[in-house]
This record gives sequence, structure tokens and C-alpha cells, in this order.
Amino acid sequence: MSAVRARPDLAISGEHEELRDMVRKLMTDTSSPARVREVMETKDGFDRATWSTMAEVGLLALLVPERYKGLGQGPVEAGIVFEEMGRALYPGPYFASVALATNALLCSGDETACSDLLPGIAAGSTIATLAMVEAVKDWDSPNTVRAVARRNGAAWILEGAKSFVPHGHAADLLLVTARTHAGLSLFAVDPADPGVETRALTSLDLTRRLAAVVFAGARARLVGADGGADPVVASTVERALIALAAEQAGGAARCLEMSVDYAKQREQFGRPIGSFQAIAHRCVEMLQRVEFARAASRYAASCQATGDDELPVAARVAAAYCGRAYRWVATENIQVHGGLGFTWEHDAQLHYRRSWASETLLGNAEEHYMAIADRLGLGRTKETA
Amino acid sequence: MTEDPPLEEFLAAAEVFLASRYPRRESEDRRPFQWGEGSDEVRVFQEPDPDEEAEAMPRIRAWRAALWDAGFAWISGPPEYGGRGLPRSYEAAFTSLSRKFDAPGDAALTVSLGMIAPTILRHADERQKHEYLPALFRADLIACQLFSEPDAGSDLASIRAKAVRDGDRWRITGQKVWTSGAHLADVGEIICQTAPGPRHHNLTAFMVDMHAPGVTIRPLRQMTGGASFNEVFLDGVEVGDSARLGAEGEGWRVALTTLSYERNAMGHSAFGGAGILSTDRLMQLIRHAGLAGDPLVKRRFGELVTELRVARYAQEVTAERMRAGQSPGPEIALNKLALSANMARLGEFVVSVLGSRAIADTGQWGTYAWTSVVLGAPGYRLGGGSDEILKNMIAERVLGLPRAT
Repeated sequence: MSAVRARPDLAISGEHEELRDMVRKLMTDTSSPARVREVMETKDGFDRATWSTMAEVGLLALLVPERYKGLGQGPVEAGIVFEEMGRALYPGPYFASVALATNALLCSGDETACSDLLPGIAAGSTIATLAMVEAVKDWDSPNTVRAVARRNGAAWILEGAKSFVPHGHAADLLLVTARTHAGLSLFAVDPADPGVETRALTSLDLTRRLAAVVFAGARARLVGADGGADPVVASTVERALIALAAEQAGGAARCLEMSVDYAKQREQFGRPIGSFQAIAHRCVEMLQRVEFARAASRYAASCQATGDDELPVAARVAAAYCGRAYRWVATENIQVHGGLGFTWEHDAQLHYRRSWASETLLGNAEEHYMAIADRLGLGRTKETA
Repeated sequence: MTEDPPLEEFLAAAEVFLASRYPRRESEDRRPFQWGEGSDEVRVFQEPDPDEEAEAMPRIRAWRAALWDAGFAWISGPPEYGGRGLPRSYEAAFTSLSRKFDAPGDAALTVSLGMIAPTILRHADERQKHEYLPALFRADLIACQLFSEPDAGSDLASIRAKAVRDGDRWRITGQKVWTSGAHLADVGEIICQTAPGPRHHNLTAFMVDMHAPGVTIRPLRQMTGGASFNEVFLDGVEVGDSARLGAEGEGWRVALTTLSYERNAMGHSAFGGAGILSTDRLMQLIRHAGLAGDPLVKRRFGELVTELRVARYAQEVTAERMRAGQSPGPEIALNKLALSANMARLGEFVVSVLGSRAIADTGQWGTYAWTSVVLGAPGYRLGGGSDEILKNMIAERVLGLPRAT
């Protein structure tokens, strides 16, 4: 028993530094701003060669336990990678495959599904994503899932429609929530099945495309217990929010760098604009949000890693704070750049788009605020609290 | 080089020491807040009643002396000056442990131990370190900080208090303001002008005896109604050259050291023992106001908690990095900026919940008491460097932006 609870994973270890350097170098080499712009115009919206390189260096296997041919790393390590992905605006399905699909499979506790599906995800041969949301505002509320699955011998048949599916247009494996007689359940569906129709949506975020998927008699495989998906969805969303928070912190950090570099170099009225307090103080406020976003996402990841009681609150706090912080910093980044920041050619707009889309993807700050109050038990009376 | 004792062994000895002198607190260190029980004070600044304070001081000095004798007064300090030479993690562990006992604690010694002692450790000569450090950690001496003046606030380098050399003596004349704890202090770290210029190189730091002839201390009443600070008048106060801290003309550097420790200490209090940022207390307030079911209040509460928690997480990350030996840079001032913003947010939220109970005392427990946050918040944006000065400092030293011309 120690009087003070040490949280060594809040500090940066040498191994963490190495991981960060490795991913940053990989992103610099393969996903430079110019390259991101090039691939975002293509049909896939990302570069398959980079995806293979990421598989080779083990990034896709990061969260996969060793018994499923993965590296068995935790949320703190994943957070470091997501921060780097966020900085680079990495346009590939990393968030979809790792934060959403890998976590959904792990949370399902279905050993057979995990050993069948995770090795492919870890090797990069399977791009996976999670199709959970149907109509607007329904994302968080499993009760409103209208997609249904019925049993057909050993298999299941799926009917319904999902939307806002990250990288749904490129996926080889869809994890889908649907209702059965027993309740909300999770299914694995091959998008090549004739009963599946996937359509890429025109998306605000040019570097993370969303898709709509229609299931009309699609063959599906049950993952986890029939009717047992409510807690699976809840913990998958919680984990994905923590990963997204790290990605947002990384994006915000990059926006700050862009602003500070520009403020040092751009001259108006005969001096660098960074010497004006109106600009300098804005940059400090950006720094504050960047540093606190990194701390919040790191803290939440550490809570997840250690199973801390604070996790349900910390995950939502990180989600609410990092979402707003990134959007604010991305917005101010345009302002610091003046007219240049409003051009198509400048990368400020790509972060601006990503920040709005990310803040909305898994629920916005308003919803997180309400969730935080609920998790702290505000609605409960003193006696039951 | 001797091995550090294992932390468990160290804590076991600490527990024996604490238990032999102080009763254990009834429950755990963080006793849940009970609505309607005891005082409803919401303490924003240390504004103790002068009589109670005078009574408490001997107990605080006895506590420090006992700590000193048992080797717990300066756990991470260098052994040559009476420290124990153990890692900071041991110190943090001891502090947590001591909260479980009804011991006086060090809240009244924040300036002395948290700001002046580390300044002495960095800038004083050997003789001074031996003279002051053990005395400060034993609380034989209590120190205050004599920096701000009526005409030198944010522009601290324009200090006018003068120290004039006369052989191996100096004679100090001037006026200082916003001095916390001057009336309790035995010594003060004072920054004086010792040459007409150049700016930043014309200042010198001294340790001045607060009981010396020519020192006059007056309480300064602040807008909250209380008096946490003092005005200090110095009229030809004599100090020896041996009381000079650092070289002549190096006073600005000495002052910057103290100020950086001040910001650290202030940022830390963001989740300190005062309990004003207790989520539980806020929830009970909302329930007693009958607003627990109000979605607007719930949403605003969630937003406030987000800001408070993130500030706490950032503090914990800083603390963990310090424990791991990664020293924080000037970005530590971000924590202080967060604290002053959060005080303002807290005031806004609480008044929105209290409504008219915030503008007149109805006598209802735990309501009007919150106005101390509203009245204290403006002070937090100013103390320890105003928000604007800190932003200038961070812009230059962390972001490397050009200095404003």
C-alpha cells in the first residue's frame, strides 16, 4: 500500500519516444501534406502502399493481443500513434480499423471471432470498420437501432441501413449493430456480399470519408452473444473516443505549429505579426488548449490502461475537451494566417474540416457534457449517490 | 553513495512518526462533503482571523521542528543543508500520508518553503544556504516576498525601492505592496534598485530582517473584504552585505526564479485542499437548489467539470513527469492561467445556480458563502503575474515569438 498512486504512464518513457519518432518519420515519408492532397482526390482516398508499410512496421497490430498475432500494446501506446496520425491528417482507415473495429471485436469477448478476424486486421489484409449509426442523433442510443437480423440456419440475415461509416467505402469487413429477438447484437458482414450496397458520401472531412451502407438480405456472422451488444457498443465508443481525443490533440498541435511558424515569418507594418500581442496571446491560448488536450487524452488512455474508476468520466472529459480544443485551434489557425489561410491550397482548411467532422463523429461536446453529469450521478439523490 | 530506503520502509517510519504525535483523521483524507454540516466557508484566499492565526503559528512551528528532528522536514533537499536527499516521489508520498493525520500542515508556509527556499538554494552563497535553509525548513524563520510596488506591478523591473551601499552595509528605503504573510514573517526576500540602470541589470536581491527598525507592516484590505496581503514600508532599513542574495545587479534573475516557483505553487492549488473545486460539493449545491433535473444546469455542470478535470489531469501529468525527473519548463504557467479562468467559470456557474441567493444573504446554509469565489476570481487573474504578463512570457519563452516592441 502506497499513500500516493503512481501513474508512470503519464510521463513519457524512452520506448514511447521511440514509438512517436518512428510514426512521425513514417508519416513524414509517406503522408506529407502534398501527398495527402494527392491521395484524397483518388477513389480510395488513401494510399494502399502506405497501408502495407504501416502493416509491416506493426502499427495495425498494435492493439491486437499476441494470441491473435498482434503486438498486445495498450491505449497509451495507441494514443501516441493517433496523435501522430492526427498531426499528419493521415487519410487512411487507421481509425476505422484500429480504434473502431479492433476495439469492437476485443470488447465483444468473442474468442472465435477474434481469432478468425483479428489476424487479418493486424496484417493489414483486412480493412475493417464499424457501422453503428443510422439516423442523425441516434449514434449513442442503441435503442434506436432499426437494422434487424434474423437467424437462417447457422447464419444470420441482415436488413437495414447504416450511415456515417468511417472508410465504409474501402472496408473488407463491416462490424454492424442490429436488433434480434434477444436485443442489440453485433455482426460481421462481408461488404462484397450481394446483399450489401456501399456508397461513399460527400464528406466535410476530405481526409476521412464516410459511407452509407444498405443491407438487403446480407449474410452476417454473429459476434459475441445474441442480444449482448449494448455493453460492447458502450465500451467500444468509450475506447474510440479516447483514441479520437489523441488524434484531435495531435491535429491541434500541428495547427499551433503552423500558426507560430507563420507568426514569426509574416511581416506586416514592418514587423513580424507574432510581435503583436493580439497574435502572440492568441497563440498562447492555442498552446494552452493543445497542452491540455494532450494531457486529457493521455490521462484518459492511462485510466483505460489501468482500469481506473475515473475512466467513464475521463473518457468523456477528454472527448469533450479535445473535440472543442481542436476545432478552436483549427479555426484560430486560419485567422492567424489571414487571407492565405482561407485559400484552398493552404492546409489550414484540411484541419478545419477534420476538426468539425471529428467533433461530431462520435457525439459532440454537448452530449459529452450531459454524459459527464450522468456518470458523476448528478441526477441521483444524495441517498442513492 | 548510500542506497535510498525502499518507499514502503520510508512510509512505515513516517506513519510511526505521525501517529506518535497527531491523531488520525476520523475517515480518509478526503472526507465527503456533508451538506449543512459545520462551516459553509468557501475559502478562496487565506484570510484567517488575525487572532486565530497568531494562535496557530506556535503549533505550526512546533510541527516543523518535529519534522526536522525526525528527518521529514525537507525530504528531497540536499543533505549538506539538512535535507534528506531522497527523490521527490518520497516527498509527495509523505505529504499524502500526512493528510491522514490532524497535523497543522504547511499551508501557511507556501511562500517560505515553496518560493523563497528554492530561490535561496539556487542563488545564495554557501554561508547563506547554511544560515537560511535549515532555519526555513524548521520554521525557525518564516519568509515573505517583497517584490511588487505601487508603481511596479506588471512592470516589475521598474522597482524603485533603493538600497544604498555604505561600506559593508546597505540602507533600504521604499514601499512594497501585495506581500502575503509579511506580518508573520521573520525575513523577506526583497528586490531593490542598486543602480540607475541599465534596466534588468540595476536590481539586487537581499534577505531583510522583518523585525528590523524602519520596517512598518500594514494589512491591505482587498475587494473581498478580507486582508491576505500587506503593505510594507522600509525607511532606511540596514542590512549587511552578507544578506545580499546573488551578485549586485543580478536581482532580476533572482526574482524570476521566485516568480516561477510562485506560478507553480498557484497552479498546484487548482485542486488543492480548499475543496472549492469539489465536484461533490457542487452537485450537492445543485440538488439543494432543486435543479438536478434541469437539463440546462446539467449541461453547464458538465462543461464546468470538463474544464476543472482537464486542469487537474494536466497537473497530474506535470507532477508525474517531475517525479520521473523530467523538469517542467515555463509552460507550467499554463496551469496558472487555467486556474484563474476556472475560478471565473466556477463563480459564473454557482451564481447561475443560486440566483438571488447570491446577491443577498438569506441565511440559508451554503449559499451566500459562494460569493467569495465571485469576489476572489479577479484577484486570481492578477496574482503571480497577470494573465497578460504570463501570456507575454509564454509567447517569448515557450513559443519563441518575437518580443513585442
